[in-house]
Amino acid sequence: MSAAAPLLAVAALDVSYGESKVLFDIALDVAERQVVTCVGRNGAGKTTLLKTIAGFVKPSTGRIDANGKSLLGLPAYEIARQGVKYIPQDKKVFSDLTVRENLELGSYATRDYDWDQVIAYFPKLTQLMDRKAGHLSGGERQMLMIGRAILGRPKLLLIDEPTEGLAPSIVEQLKEVFKDLCRRAALVIVEQNLPLVCAISDKVYALREGRIVAELAGRDRLTPRVCEQYV
Amino acid sequence: MDTQLFLSGVIFGLSIGSIFFLMAIGLSLCFGLMRVISLDQLLYYSIGAYITYSLSLALGSVWLGVLGGMIMGGLASFAVERFIFRRIYERDVTFSMITTFGILIGGVGIIKSIWGLVPRPVPVPISTQIDIAGTAVPAYRLIVIVVAIAVYGAIWLFLNRTIVGKAIRAGIEDVEHVEGLGINVYRLFTITFIIAGVLSGLAGGLHAPLIMVDPVMGLEVLAFVFMVVIIGGLGSIKGTLVSAFLVGQVVSLGSLVYAPLAQMAPFAIMLLILLLKPTGLYGSPLLKR
Repeated sequence: MSAAAPLLAVAALDVSYGESKVLFDIALDVAERQVVTCVGRNGAGKTTLLKTIAGFVKPSTGRIDANGKSLLGLPAYEIARQGVKYIPQDKKVFSDLTVRENLELGSYATRDYDWDQVIAYFPKLTQLMDRKAGHLSGGERQMLMIGRAILGRPKLLLIDEPTEGLAPSIVEQLKEVFKDLCRRAALVIVEQNLPLVCAISDKVYALREGRIVAELAGRDRLTPRVCEQYV
Repeated sequence: MDTQLFLSGVIFGLSIGSIFFLMAIGLSLCFGLMRVISLDQLLYYSIGAYITYSLSLALGSVWLGVLGGMIMGGLASFAVERFIFRRIYERDVTFSMITTFGILIGGVGIIKSIWGLVPRPVPVPISTQIDIAGTAVPAYRLIVIVVAIAVYGAIWLFLNRTIVGKAIRAGIEDVEHVEGLGINVYRLFTITFIIAGVLSGLAGGLHAPLIMVDPVMGLEVLAFVFMVVIIGGLGSIKGTLVSAFLVGQVVSLGSLVYAPLAQMAPFAIMLLILLLKPTGLYGSPLLKR
């Protein structure tokens, strides 16, 4: 954990879909190389929060700063170029493209052609390079999505429900990946798997009905039992 | 029906299918990537035909006219994308469709004011007839077919062998994920619109010597082009080619059997295909954006 100026600072953030307000006065901060997790029930606003930071949803009011610069008003591709990458929940890869072509797009966007870093985390992708991404399993898709996103050496990864529906062995592998990834980037993860949350997080924000209702940090408070009351 | 009549019907069908393909491919790509039903492509088709007419008169070369038509089609499409579509990408499909129809109607008005209401003839650049199995086939119609197949090959290479093409294919699947990687999707939109405009201009230029060029020529083929895109499957290049040739054959051979069939049969085929495969021949289920 770092006490330096936050890499990401969100303040007084309100978000609405039409007439319906879904996020209320959200404030959070993420330091460099910190792992922050958002927990909460379905509909609490976790995905909306990540999509708003990534520029896919426009907030009604509030501030989002990364590296001291405001992200408000920037198109999503520009936010990604500034090192804030969003990995969505749907495990949707470009199914008509091969694994290699999926990675090529990640490289094209960032001019980072060093795939060794991806292969080091996910060696299995080497054997799958010429396979259409649509034919991958859920775990392989998640590997590809994370691999694609780490090209360009992002400073902050926003990862939405990465272990949902995955086999325990893959979850275990992802846990090790996240533990290593946080040495080079900060992670904001939306996750329901509480043992995983407690194993990797420096800080947990609990959301309920669009509001942050708790901020948990420290070994004694980051336990599945404490987190359970918020999901 | 004798063999000669049948063979010339097939060649006619393939050539008219080629024109439909060149027009429909732009519509298909624009819908696939931007979810915009770009009816304005029919305007660039008319512009391509009129520029071909004017340049062939001024320069004495229909081919230079076709080239000019492609350039003007691309420029017009670029301008419309930059100044109009950029403002409405966030709106729903219905809104953009009404907007593109408005551009088409407005453009037809401008064409009328420049070239008048009288239909204009464009000479066929090659009058040679080629003998195929005892049937004299106009060489120009064969050239039109070859151009369409070459364009299909070029588009296939562009989409499968270049990184921008791969990004467009990825965008057809999910444009938000492409943007999330850091790719400027608005640049992809512009490139796609220019390609669509150039191909619509090419369609107009190539079609001009086979018909009389008139201000509402785009509206006259509107239904057929729509059918081609829907039968082929929105966003599918291969589907667009197969469907264009299919509709071309139905129009051509249908008219040989019974003239009113030329207008009616393509609709019947479309309904049949949509009943059996609602996404069209090669379309995938559309994602809602």
